Amino acid sequence: MEMDSLPNGNSATPNPSSALIPTAAAPPSSKLNQLAESLKLEHQFLRVPFEHYKKTIRANHRVVEKEVSSVISSVAEAADRDGMSRDEAVNHLSSLVSRLQGLKRKLEEGSRVEHLQAQRCRARLDHLESADAQNLSEWNNVKVKRILVDYMLRMSYYDTAVKLAESSNMQDLVDIEVFQEAKKVIDALQNQEVAPALAWCAENKSRLKKSKSKFEFQVRLQEFIELVRAENSLRAITYARKYLAPWGPSHMNELQRVFATVAYKSTTECTIYKVFFEPKQWDFLVDQFKQEFCKLYGMTLEPLLNIYLQAGLSALKTPYCYEDDCTKEDPLSQENFRKLALSLPYSKQHHSKLVCYITKELMDTENPPQVLPNGYVYSTKALEDMAKKNNGKITCPRTNFVCNYKDLVKAYIS
Amino acid sequence: MELNTTKDAFDRVVKKQKLSSSKSHEVIDQVGHEIQQALAQIVSTHDPTSLVDHKTILTELKVQLNAISPFHQLEGSQKELNINLSKFPKLLEKTFNPDISKAYRNVDFDYHTVNQIIANHFYQQGFFDFGDSIINEAGEPETAVAKFQFFEMHQILEAMKVRNLEPALRWVYANRRKLKHNGSNLELKLHSLQYMEILEKGSQADAINYAKTYLAPFAFLYKEEIMKLMGCLAYRGRLTSSPYAELMSPSHWEKSTEELIQQFCSLLGQSYNSPFGVAIAAGFEGLPTLLKLANVMAAKKQEWQAMKQLPVPVELGKEFQFHSIFVCPVSRDQGSEENPPMLMPCLHVLCKQSIMKLSKSSTRTFKCPYCPAEASVAQCRQLYF
Repeated sequence: MEMDSLPNGNSATPNPSSALIPTAAAPPSSKLNQLAESLKLEHQFLRVPFEHYKKTIRANHRVVEKEVSSVISSVAEAADRDGMSRDEAVNHLSSLVSRLQGLKRKLEEGSRVEHLQAQRCRARLDHLESADAQNLSEWNNVKVKRILVDYMLRMSYYDTAVKLAESSNMQDLVDIEVFQEAKKVIDALQNQEVAPALAWCAENKSRLKKSKSKFEFQVRLQEFIELVRAENSLRAITYARKYLAPWGPSHMNELQRVFATVAYKSTTECTIYKVFFEPKQWDFLVDQFKQEFCKLYGMTLEPLLNIYLQAGLSALKTPYCYEDDCTKEDPLSQENFRKLALSLPYSKQHHSKLVCYITKELMDTENPPQVLPNGYVYSTKALEDMAKKNNGKITCPRTNFVCNYKDLVKAYIS
Repeated sequence: MELNTTKDAFDRVVKKQKLSSSKSHEVIDQVGHEIQQALAQIVSTHDPTSLVDHKTILTELKVQLNAISPFHQLEGSQKELNINLSKFPKLLEKTFNPDISKAYRNVDFDYHTVNQIIANHFYQQGFFDFGDSIINEAGEPETAVAKFQFFEMHQILEAMKVRNLEPALRWVYANRRKLKHNGSNLELKLHSLQYMEILEKGSQADAINYAKTYLAPFAFLYKEEIMKLMGCLAYRGRLTSSPYAELMSPSHWEKSTEELIQQFCSLLGQSYNSPFGVAIAAGFEGLPTLLKLANVMAAKKQEWQAMKQLPVPVELGKEFQFHSIFVCPVSRDQGSEENPPMLMPCLHVLCKQSIMKLSKSSTRTFKCPYCPAEASVAQCRQLYF
């Protein structure tokens, strides 16, 4: 029955005498292994702030390129223009000088943001490095909170997310800022406005193209549908020519189907076309956007909470969890958890794991199982305790069978 | 875990970014400087007949700016930065597990249920504002969560923190019968704490009065404890250097608080630990194994989404063992009602089916697979864990 456990809260209390003995503090290698394994799962934790940082760097650089090139072409244009008066030339150059000064200010502001984001990346690296066997339970507490904030941000429970992050002083460890960007787009889509979504697509054009995303196409289709709904066929057709046609070669089927709606009204009963006019199409766009957004930042598509919770429930799930006398300490004794675990696999055991009915403690070589003459098994600790209190008499708590302590036999279970 | 490589790689990114950024500044300054010079030149040419008119100056400026070729200058540092910017995510993918959702089963994971679980977690931990906040934002019905039950518990605990036992005692009185049924003597423990407080801070008469009223009823069942408590009277004012110093230890408060939580949750029909906390912690321990398993199964083209039982064990710490699971050491089958564990006369345990097989369906005696002892089926008896 090899097993290792998390240190409980008590072991973290400082013990001045043992702190002086280095060997006492050396953690078992299995625990270190476990820690290393769990740190390996933190890809998203480092990736997201880095993508954010990268994005800022690129945006800042683009601003510089654009402004400098426009200043230069503005000079060229002035040099080539005929009949420019001296005063005009002075004004023109002065305006360029102040434009460059403005650019410098912008650049400084941009550098400040870059610096903050770089610091955030560092803070996370340091946070991962700070985990060790001694502070593991504390570190895991923070991890639970991080996972909760991640869940809330993805579900758009921003207020709770911000409150939780602030109260635990862990703003650098969660992605609230990144999700602000998503919030703008999501809020707008929920109000049936597409402008922020399209702006977001334009901003991330090359990367969306690389991942073959058709999110922009879907947004455009929805805009087209809204024009049809408003019975504005002419505008709808002009719109389609301009914005939908470029997607034709890759998405002809969808395009054709949506285009056919021009022939119908939004009140159509034809099932093929009816769906396009349903309000849930907007919810679908929101979901689609969330997926694209997560992909772009290197996040898992599912909330971390769902992933860890599922893993935990799979590992805990046994047929015994669903019996009436399941202990309350097992999360799967609760209806909510049972519901979530319903379609998850049962865990598997290669070795016996016996838990004493009385003390709920594990029975192992240190606390071996003992058998009453009626076949019921309890831990030595529990039975010794009972015998001491009752003059050597043992009463089986499940059958009320009474026997003497000396009638018990030890069972050998491998 | 070795993070130095990652840290170094990140430092390189930051360094290149700084270089690129200062290069941008430099280029802007250069361009600005040329323009300002040209501007000064135009302004200083007062003489309208001068050969150098502003047009020539502008043309010269154009040539100058082209000669600086700002984009060429920016290109180099930008290129190096770009290389590092695309290298770092690749390093992350190599060092870490880039997709921890591989072991995720695409089943309906009802978010209302998850929200309620989270809210209950907050309530159980006493974070009522977080619980309320998520219930509000998610629009979950308040009836779905156990807020008010936990509210009373945390009021009691808050009071106990400032050594006010009144709410705790009120609750204990109201639940005296159930507590007794659970075998808890929390009432005595709380009264002892109160008595020690009075003894330390109040008058002797008060302490004696308190003992008479509240401790005396326990005298028969807890003789020893009461004797010790009364013995303290002899050392009032110097308890810390008395044989009873141990009774002053704040650990008694901690233990009683813990027992109160335990009893309170138990009477509520709730667990002592937050079930969400337990399930997530099990996930922390179990996920690495599950991911490895999912990878192996994907490589063998086996189906992850549909299997009924995991093919390998996911080892969890002993705080996650809630059930007795017997695995027959011979057949590796998990014990069940049809195939229960059986104790042989040599005290080794096998499952019934294994014993049937060894005894050729109880037709003959057999040797235990673990020791030289012989046994017959009639000598074996069923065990109940």
